[in-house]
Amino acid sequence: MAVSTIYSTQALNSTHFLTSSPSSSTSKQVFFYRRHQSQTNRRFNTIITCAAQQTVVIGLAADSGCGKSTFMRRLTSVFGGAAEPPKGGNPDSNTLISDMTTVICLDDYHSLDRTGRKEKGVTALDPRANDFDLMYEQVKALKSGIAVEKPIYNHVTGLLDAPELIQPPKILVIEGLHPMFDERVRDLLDFSIYLDISNEVKFAWKIQRDMAERGHSLESIKASIEARKPDFDAFIDPQKQYADAVIEVLPTQLIPDDNEGKVLRVRLIMKEGVKYFSPVYLFDEGSTISWIPCGRKLTCSYPGIKFNYEPDTYFDHEVSVLEMDGQFDRLDELIYVESHLSNLSTKFYGEVTQQMLKHADFPGSNNGTGLFQTIVGLKIRDLYEQLIANKATAPAEVAKA
Amino acid sequence: MMSTTASHGRVMMLPSPSRALQNQQPLIGSDMFRLKQTEPRGSRLVVAATAKYKGTKMREEKLSEMIVEKVKEATEVCEADVRSEGCKVAWDEVEEVSQARADLRIKLKLLNQDPLESFCQENPETDECRIYED
Repeated sequence: MAVSTIYSTQALNSTHFLTSSPSSSTSKQVFFYRRHQSQTNRRFNTIITCAAQQTVVIGLAADSGCGKSTFMRRLTSVFGGAAEPPKGGNPDSNTLISDMTTVICLDDYHSLDRTGRKEKGVTALDPRANDFDLMYEQVKALKSGIAVEKPIYNHVTGLLDAPELIQPPKILVIEGLHPMFDERVRDLLDFSIYLDISNEVKFAWKIQRDMAERGHSLESIKASIEARKPDFDAFIDPQKQYADAVIEVLPTQLIPDDNEGKVLRVRLIMKEGVKYFSPVYLFDEGSTISWIPCGRKLTCSYPGIKFNYEPDTYFDHEVSVLEMDGQFDRLDELIYVESHLSNLSTKFYGEVTQQMLKHADFPGSNNGTGLFQTIVGLKIRDLYEQLIANKATAPAEVAKA
Repeated sequence: MMSTTASHGRVMMLPSPSRALQNQQPLIGSDMFRLKQTEPRGSRLVVAATAKYKGTKMREEKLSEMIVEKVKEATEVCEADVRSEGCKVAWDEVEEVSQARADLRIKLKLLNQDPLESFCQENPETDECRIYED
C-alpha cells in the first residue's frame, strides 16, 4: 500500500506530483501533473515510470548553439554509436540520442520565445529568458531515472513547440549557455566543461560561418559579437570558474601576426581533486614541461607543434594545464604525441588517434580542439565507469549491514 | 563537377578547394584523409549533401532571408541608440538565426542526408516531405 505525498510550489511553471513511498519494487509509478497556466498555453501531463538506475549528468557550456556541436558527436562516439535526433518526433528538435547518451539543448528551457524576449528587451544570454526552476526539476528527474516531457525551443520559428518525451539515459549531457549558472543544477552535474573561445578566434570562426550568407558583412558580424558581449561577459563567462575542465581556444603563438585563426593554441585546464577525474599529463605529473615533438624522430610541416604542461591556479583552484599550439598534418604525428601523454584513460594504445581518425572530417581534427575534446570524452567515459562501479558496490554493502 | 543521385538525398561531388567547412580549420592532412575515405584517382573529393525535401529547402531559404531582414533591422535600431536594449536584442536575434542557418548546413554535412529524412519516412504525405526538385 503506497503512501502518497503531494508537493506543490508556487512557481510559475510548477509541477505537482504524487510519489509512492520507497518500496522494494524497482518499478514505481510516478504521476506528473502540471497546473494549467492561463498565461502560457503549455501544459505538461504525463505518467512516468522510474527505474532503479542513476544517470550520470555532464554539463557543457558553449556559445556555439546546440546540436551541431562536434564536441557532442566526439563524446557520444567514444561511447559508441552515432547520436541522432529523436526519430519521428518534431523535426526541429534539438535533442540528440545515442545508445548510451542523450544530449539536451538548454535553449529548450527558454521561458521567453523570440517575441517575448524582444518585448522584454532581453537577449537569450540573459537568465531572465530562461526557466531555471524547470531545468533543475527535469535534470533532477532524469538523474533519478524519471522520464520527462521537455519543451522544445524551435530555432527556426523562434517559438516554443510542444514538448517531447525524454527517457532517462545512462549519460545525460546538458549543453548550452547556462548549464552551470544555477547552483541547484550545478550540484547535479557529475562533470562540467566550459568551452572558452577567445575573441579573436570567435571573430574568425564567425566570419567563416557567416560570410557566405548574403545578409552578412564583416561589419554585421563584428557588430553582432560586440552587441552580445556585455551580456556574455556578465552571465556566461563567469560559469567557467565552476567547470571541472575548461578548453580555452586562442590564436597561435607560432605564427607572428597571424590573424586568420586557422592555426590554434588550445589549453586544457583541468581542475585537481575532482572525484573520478585524473588530469592528463606530460612526462612528469605536477612538473612544468615544454615540448616540441618535431625534430629528429618526427618531421612536422610548418608551423609545427608545441606542447606545454604545468600546474597553475585558476580562480583559486589548483589546476593542471596541458597546452597544444599548432597542427597535426599526418597520422604519425598524432600517434607520436599520444604515445607521450599519460593518464589518457584510453583502453588501448592508439585509442585517441583512432577516435580522431574516425572523425577526420570534423572541424578541429588536426589541432588541440579535436584532441582535447577527444581526451575529455575518454575522461568522461572513465568517470562514468568508475561511478557505475561505485554504485554497484554500495547496495551490496547496505545489504550486509 | 559531377552530380549523382544516391539513395538518400542528392550527393554532390565537389573538388576539394571548395570545402564547405563552416568552422575552424581545413581538413586534416592528405595521409589521414586517405586513410578515412576511398577516393577516385586524382582529386581529393568532399561529399556534401543537399536538401532533398521541400521542408529543408524552405527552412534554408527562410533562415537566409531572416538573416538579411534581421541584420537590416539591427542596423536601423542601433543607429538610434547603440547601447539600447533593443539594439542588443536585435543583434542577438541575428546571431540566433545565423547559428540556426549554420546548424542546418552542418547537419546536412555531418549526417550526409536530409535532416527531415526520419520524419519524412513516417510522414511522407506532408507538404514538407515533397521531394525538392531543382
